[in-house]
Amino acid sequence: MNETILEARNLVKKYGDLTAVNDVNLAIRQGEILGLLGPNGAGKTTIISMITGLLEPTSGRITVDGLDLQAETNAVKAKLGLVPQELALYPTLSARDNLDFFGSIYGLGGKELRERVDAMLEMVQLTERANEAIESYSGGMKRRVNIAAGLLHQPQVLLLDEPTVGVDPQSRNAIFESVESLNRAGMTVIYTTHYMEEAQRLCHRVAIIDEGQIIALDTPAALMRSLGGGILVLGLEDAKPGEGDGHVQTVTDRVGELPAVKSARRDDGHLKIETHRFQEALMAILDITNELDVRITSMEKWEPNLESVFLHLTGKRLRE
Amino acid sequence: MSILSIPAALRVARKDIKIFLKERGTLLYLFVIPLVFVLGFSAASAGGGEPQEKAITLAVVNLNADSGASQTLLDALDQSGGIRCELYDQARAQAQLDKGKINRMLTIPANYAENLLAGQPVTLRLVNSPDASASMTEAVHRAVAGVAADLSLETQLIASFRQMGEMQAAASPGQLAFPTEVIVEQAQSQFARSRTEPLLAVEESWPQHLLEEDEDDINPLSVSVPGFAVMFIFLTAQTTAQYIYEEKKLGSFRRLLAAPISKATILVGKMTPNFLVGLAQIVVIFGAGLFLLPLLGFDPITLGNDPLALVLLCLVIVLCSTSLGVLIAAIARTEGQITGLSQVVLWVFGFAGILLVGMPVSSTLDTISQVIPHYWANAAFMDLFVRGQGLADIMPCILVLLGFTVAFLAIGLWRFKFN
Repeated sequence: MNETILEARNLVKKYGDLTAVNDVNLAIRQGEILGLLGPNGAGKTTIISMITGLLEPTSGRITVDGLDLQAETNAVKAKLGLVPQELALYPTLSARDNLDFFGSIYGLGGKELRERVDAMLEMVQLTERANEAIESYSGGMKRRVNIAAGLLHQPQVLLLDEPTVGVDPQSRNAIFESVESLNRAGMTVIYTTHYMEEAQRLCHRVAIIDEGQIIALDTPAALMRSLGGGILVLGLEDAKPGEGDGHVQTVTDRVGELPAVKSARRDDGHLKIETHRFQEALMAILDITNELDVRITSMEKWEPNLESVFLHLTGKRLRE
Repeated sequence: MSILSIPAALRVARKDIKIFLKERGTLLYLFVIPLVFVLGFSAASAGGGEPQEKAITLAVVNLNADSGASQTLLDALDQSGGIRCELYDQARAQAQLDKGKINRMLTIPANYAENLLAGQPVTLRLVNSPDASASMTEAVHRAVAGVAADLSLETQLIASFRQMGEMQAAASPGQLAFPTEVIVEQAQSQFARSRTEPLLAVEESWPQHLLEEDEDDINPLSVSVPGFAVMFIFLTAQTTAQYIYEEKKLGSFRRLLAAPISKATILVGKMTPNFLVGLAQIVVIFGAGLFLLPLLGFDPITLGNDPLALVLLCLVIVLCSTSLGVLIAAIARTEGQITGLSQVVLWVFGFAGILLVGMPVSSTLDTISQVIPHYWANAAFMDLFVRGQGLADIMPCILVLLGFTVAFLAIGLWRFKFN
């Protein structure tokens, strides 16, 4: 899993004064699942659109399997499979007709197309209802056909753009299993989501995106390790009002010096403490607040997960 | 990378045709409604070659406009009850007559007042279009001749009495220059003369060049059926726009753009089904005109004498309509905008195209009407079906329609948002 299959260098997309994607660099390795994690509007779909040739970058370069997207557009497109966020299917046509069509525009035909369509229908477990109009399917079934349509031509890289939006838990699990199964078979996957649980479960590496920029890129474990033992956010209030916040500042300074604490800083009226060892740090902090007669008005622990990583890096929640 | 892949475009088109055939509403809209229009409206208007009006419009070229005498004639014609005079300049009236937009033209000569005053004969010239209905032409002729005869009598009697009055004035006082018998005899003589040698005569003619082109009676359905065909062919522009909009709304357009086919291929693929639907509409509508109308007791329409010109014209009209669809898809941002634009562009222009080609209209309206492709399509069909002309004659119309096609496509592609 070392060879780079897709590379984006210094990718920028501007709409007038608005910079939707700002100097994004990505190197996706053969056989990995790379997650693009970020809130709605962070720039994930714009990045996907540029990689698949739907949008022309304002600047930057994209190569797939050594081929330059701009110079060899069709050859690159043939190596990619896009599963758009929308249910990009024709509702009055059957699943088979939809797949026949999407296979045919990738140059498949005859027996090969029929076999691929049959295989895809089997994979998404819709063989028996293959000739029914898509509009009669449940949301989850439609999502499965949507994914199958992106796989017909056996792409080297599959790009899934928020594939679980509006999907029931059962279908969501089915989608996860399909993605994992495809990846086990060697397919490289780029998976955009704003659900940290999905990124955590599926992705070998996660690029955290905010305001068009990649602000962190690593394995989920490494990203979570950056939070140490977890983050403690305390609301503090001096027990003796009128004496300013002298004691609160003293608490901040002393907590920052604790061996179990990585850093402590005051942020938006709260004391935000990154810990190495959460339990040990908490006991010591309570001793300090008691000693200085500072009252704790609120206490929140950010578990070491991708949501907390995002919150820590951006000050925003993923679903804001 | 090839700019256009015909096989891939045909795959896109085949998919759209599959979708189209599953949508009964669209089939009804594009095929059944046109048939209802053609059969219903054509039958309703089959009573005559021109609309039955209470007063028949008569184009008048008054070359003696500054005289009160010519105005008296016009007033008399208007008061005759059967005619409504409309003043034209000579060049425009001749052009409208040649185009078949007016059915008859009356010319009042420049020496009209002068000759009348001098008791010299004056000839009013009434030129009829061969397209005009014979009964209405006869009615107009009778009305104009009647008014001319009355004015002749009136003028001759007045002149005669004026002369007698002058002679009476010259006679000795108390002497009666003309006894009553002589006056009555003079009046009878003038009355008879006004019949045999009227001062005001009407000369009727049919332009030779128009007569040569159309010696047979005109079947009005040969005008209205192609008119409806043009209107409904341009309705497919709305379907083209809606199919492109639907594809974008579904998100499948993104999937097409992500496939290894060019944007041109996708657009050609999206245009092809509606191009074929437009051609099918022509076959259905003209087929109805040829075979269904006779079953209802009407004469079949004529398709002219130049099949090549007909085929070429149909292809160009359908292409123009499809390009208009791309333009609508490029301009409209919502389904409501597509419907709204289509209502204006297609229905209003459609009816305007039918009406303006076959009707007498002001020069301003005539000029304005030429900015819509429907006008040129209808004019070309009129030339082919009604006047029996050929490819060379309709080539200007075909070129104008091709110009519209190129303009629609160019603006459409410039404004088209692929993403």
